[in-house]
Amino acid sequence: MQYQFKWSVLWSGQSAGWLLQGLITTLELSALAWILAVCLGILAGALRTVTFAPLRAAAVFYVEFFRNVPLLVWMFFWYFGVPPLLPRVVQDWLFNHGAEFWAAVIALGVYTGARMSEVIRAGILSIPRTQFEASLAMGLTVGQAYRLIILPIALRLIVPPMTNESLNLLKNSSVALTISVAELTFQTRQVETYTAKAIEALTAGTLIYLVLCLGIATVMSRLERRFAIPGLIARVGAG
Amino acid sequence: MNGQAIEFKRVNKWFGKLHVLRDIDLSIASGEVVVVCGPSGSGKSTLIRCVNVLERIQQGDIVVLGQSVTVPGLNLAKLRTRVGMVFQQFNLFAHMTVLQNIMLAPMRVKRVSRDEAERTARALLERVGIPHRADSYPANLSGGQQQRVAIARALAMQPDVMLFDEPTSALDPEMINEVLEVMTDLARDGMTMMCVTHEMGFARRVAHRVIFMDEGQVIEQSEPEAFFAAPKSDRTKQFLSKILSH
Ligand SMILES: Nc1ncnc2c1ncn2[C@@H]1O[C@H](COP(=O)(O)OP(=O)(O)OP(=O)(O)O)[C@@H](O)[C@H]1O
Ligand SMILES: [Mg+2]
Repeated sequence: MQYQFKWSVLWSGQSAGWLLQGLITTLELSALAWILAVCLGILAGALRTVTFAPLRAAAVFYVEFFRNVPLLVWMFFWYFGVPPLLPRVVQDWLFNHGAEFWAAVIALGVYTGARMSEVIRAGILSIPRTQFEASLAMGLTVGQAYRLIILPIALRLIVPPMTNESLNLLKNSSVALTISVAELTFQTRQVETYTAKAIEALTAGTLIYLVLCLGIATVMSRLERRFAIPGLIARVGAG
Repeated sequence: MNGQAIEFKRVNKWFGKLHVLRDIDLSIASGEVVVVCGPSGSGKSTLIRCVNVLERIQQGDIVVLGQSVTVPGLNLAKLRTRVGMVFQQFNLFAHMTVLQNIMLAPMRVKRVSRDEAERTARALLERVGIPHRADSYPANLSGGQQQRVAIARALAMQPDVMLFDEPTSALDPEMINEVLEVMTDLARDGMTMMCVTHEMGFARRVAHRVIFMDEGQVIEQSEPEAFFAAPKSDRTKQFLSKILSH
């Protein structure tokens, strides 16, 4: 059997439009989930290093709970599980306003946030404790010490592993197709079904993911160099 | 202000089962310069870290500038703005320039305006002899310069007391003097200082009193002259013979 390649299916008909929409949805979904994940990650990562035990325990609970359940289950949970618990009007409103999209954002955000918090915690723990003590000794509160000293240093140190988590987030966003979010993988499959050209459609999808990931990696390494701590990690990037 | 700057009243402290401070009774008058010395592990760092409550004591009390550190609900930040501290490991913030390091606490804690904070910071850099490094990052300074910036940073809060925990121990020998000179100037200006150091030359020249600690106790304290010429206890003699032999 001879497979007949027909790459033109990608730009004829509705394919291009579908792929573009999928790309936009993937970007929106990933960007919102990323913001949520970074906020939760910083919060939980920082709380895990404080001396007050109840806050530490809450953060441990969040991390262990969310990173140990498959993402797919979380998607189902937020999409099928949570809305029925809400009042009728809220449910209706949600389903008229892309409930599946917001369920995906939350699922992806809290899941990735739990993973990111581990990275952030490791970054904080790599800073000598005396830096924290020096901050307190000059009269800063614990909150100020974290906000002005500990986190700014930690975040600069952890750009490479954060890049990893960010790429994982983007790739994991494809799981949202299971709750029928019309993101890139969803649209790729639609093109495939509609044109019966699987290789072409999947190649297009693959390349778009690849380009996105390379783009993110580039931006992150720029950020790393831009915010490098002079004399500490500047040399690595400058080489 | 004349009177006692720091008073230790029967202070006891444990780390777990380890009894690190034993019945410490000690007063430091304002304007006084006190050098604390003793063997490694004798509790010197712990003693001065209790003054600005980086460590908590379990028994007794410490009164710092009229403020007891054991009262419940103590405003720690407020106390700490009046007590500057310089560490062995400099502890400058690597992501900030020298100037930003010095301006941080005045702006964030005392709410001083940026202009005023910068003026003070530049004046302090002048005072510690490195006005030209204001825009450098800590990693690009020598150890001696970093420690002088750390002193300037502590002074920026206009503290009434300065604590030093082995400020020259991490320095190459050729840089020790530049830091000791700054500390000497500070002492001459009347700053109340509590210095853990093994720089016995500094103790002799600058200190009003030398305190010898061992195993969590104050073994001996006297004026430098008497301390070095005629130490009373055997442990002090032993310690001094080791430290002064080279
Ligand atoms: N956070 C801590 N937890 C448990 N033990 C501690 C802690 N900090 C200090 N110690 C112990 O308390 C004792 C006194 O320590 P401290 O650091 O005050 O000694 P030091 O006189 O400053 O010694 P050095 O000259 O080595 O700096 C030592 O036995 C030390 O191991
Ligand atoms: Mg010590």
